[in-house]
Amino acid sequence: MALIELQDVSKLYGFGDATTLALDEVNLIIEKGEFVAVMGPSGSGKSTLMHVIGLLDRPSHGLYKFNDRKVAKLRPNQAAKMRRDTIGFIFQSFNLLPRLTALENVALPLAYKGVSLGKRLKQASNMLDRVGIQSREYFLPGQLSGGQAQCAAIARALVNEPKLIIADEPTGNLDSAASRLVMELLSEVHKTGNTVLFVTHNPELTRYATRVVYMHDGAIVHDEKKALGQVADTARKSLYRVPMTTEEDDLAGVSALMKALPSKPAVRSKRKPKSRKAPAKRKTARGKNR
Amino acid sequence: MKSLTRGHLKAGIDSLRGSKMRNFWTMLGVIIGVASVITIVGIGEGIKQQITGQIHHLGKDLITVRPAALHTGNDTANANLNLLSGVNITGSLHATDVTTIAKTNGVSTTVPLSAVTGGIRGENGAYQDGLVIGTTPDLPSLLNQSMAYGAFLTAEDTGVHAAVLGLHAADAMFNEDVPLGNEFTIHGEQFIVRGIFNDFAATPLSEEASFNNAIFIPYDVAQTLTNDTAATYEILAKPVHSGQTGQVVNSLEQRLKQAHGGQTDFQVLQQNQNLTSSNSIVDLLTKLISGVAAISLLVGGIGIMNVMLVSVTERMHEIGIRKAIGATNRQILSQFIIEASVLSLSGGVIGIGVAFAIDLGLRLFTNLQPVISWQIVVIASGVSLAVGIIFGTIPALTAARKDPIDALRSQ
Repeated sequence: MALIELQDVSKLYGFGDATTLALDEVNLIIEKGEFVAVMGPSGSGKSTLMHVIGLLDRPSHGLYKFNDRKVAKLRPNQAAKMRRDTIGFIFQSFNLLPRLTALENVALPLAYKGVSLGKRLKQASNMLDRVGIQSREYFLPGQLSGGQAQCAAIARALVNEPKLIIADEPTGNLDSAASRLVMELLSEVHKTGNTVLFVTHNPELTRYATRVVYMHDGAIVHDEKKALGQVADTARKSLYRVPMTTEEDDLAGVSALMKALPSKPAVRSKRKPKSRKAPAKRKTARGKNR
Repeated sequence: MKSLTRGHLKAGIDSLRGSKMRNFWTMLGVIIGVASVITIVGIGEGIKQQITGQIHHLGKDLITVRPAALHTGNDTANANLNLLSGVNITGSLHATDVTTIAKTNGVSTTVPLSAVTGGIRGENGAYQDGLVIGTTPDLPSLLNQSMAYGAFLTAEDTGVHAAVLGLHAADAMFNEDVPLGNEFTIHGEQFIVRGIFNDFAATPLSEEASFNNAIFIPYDVAQTLTNDTAATYEILAKPVHSGQTGQVVNSLEQRLKQAHGGQTDFQVLQQNQNLTSSNSIVDLLTKLISGVAAISLLVGGIGIMNVMLVSVTERMHEIGIRKAIGATNRQILSQFIIEASVLSLSGGVIGIGVAFAIDLGLRLFTNLQPVISWQIVVIASGVSLAVGIIFGTIPALTAARKDPIDALRSQ
């Protein structure tokens, strides 16, 4: 039984001429226990896919079965309870509540579950211990370093013992040391039997994954299973062989990775809003430097 | 679920602490509303208690006969409307009525009060603040009123130009502290001051208040002074047995109706009726003004709603995060309703504090003695809490219904 099953899932934004196709008939089956990396340029629909899989967003068309249940039939409250009990979300910008301490942030999903105050603080404290920042329990998010904040966010995602962890560019805001720490944590979580799904721009990080999915313009263009500890073949191409992107490509937000893909030629995307392109440039540049 | 509420309560208080100044301005409407409602109800309650105390002082068996308006309408349901339309003729009492009342079975003492207007000249020139009341010797005993100096008029004073002054009248007319034996004139006739009353326990809205400014002269002198035109505006009576007050009132009504040719152009009031009539006036006024004050409470509620709407918009990202980690719509709803309630309830509590401060001020600087009962405090807290819940619902609903992904995207 597959944990995640997407059949011809599409997602549209906007109306009329401004309509954007964020997901274009995506078919994807993810089994329990997989560690999937999702790669692709900015605006390729990775985040939308994560949101749809994480029950934060609903597909416009197509069938999505999560844990063998049809998501389209879920009422908002049922979806909320599923997010609470079976899915842990990790964001690029950590998304910790700034007014709550690290401990309270981690305890929040338990509060929504109805666990008593003492119990949930104890559980949250144990979880912070597991991610290695128990000494920072009473720090506010603003007082934590990026790596520590992301660890707290991971603790928050794990505290309800979810089946699925979804990480949307968890290392996007972190330096390489903190990135490694976060990825080690995620792979530990994977080893305990969890399914982990993460988005990354860094081909190096595909080492941790058992499977790499490449997206472009809302569609999955390549899907490869690989051994742990190896950089994925396609990603390696973008890492070592492809020459740098031209300045024009940079401006348009086309990454070196897409030029390396075998199946689809690098097409300049015309429908992505400007604001989503801006961070892409920076990341591509960073990728090149490695 | 309980622990969740506690968490939200804490979150609510925390968010209050976050922006103190803005929250204060938000609460101001509720503060003013609650403070004014409590103050006005307190003043009304205080006046009622003062009147009750006064009546207790006068004795419950005191009967008052007054002229009353004669309504042309015969429909009792319309009686109140007829105050404004139709013909109203106010009847009058005559000297004969005094004897009618005195002769009625069960009446022990009868005291008429007639009014002579104007024409008073004392040591300090014309005295215009008070009136001259013609009355009989039993007045002080009937009203349980004591003398400060001298003595009241006696039965032998019939036809004698002697007068007894209220405390304020004595102060205003003479330079001496105790002007006993001094002379003054009413309509050109000489009068000698025979005595001075103690301060009449002043009750707002009661006629006893004006007695402090009054000059009391013998009833028959008042009549001769004005060629029998001095109007008898009130006749006071006391029954022999205080237990029979009700029967005496009934027989008085019948006798007087006979004497007035079958028309009821007078009122026979017991003290407790007096109480109900004055109470109903005070009640009406209290309701009216607190109604106006309640509007400010409403406006305060709208203020809270606006701030909560702004707060919801500002914190949309937070709502998104909370939803992403599993908060249901209902949990978001209760969080924001609790925040709004904390805001308005704190406003209510501050308002209650302000009301107590105003109460203290009124007691110190005026003769009002507002009474703040625990009931009104509880009601005010309850109402301010309700305002928070009612006006917090709309912003909370906006927050709860927001799509998780839309909320998460907004920064």
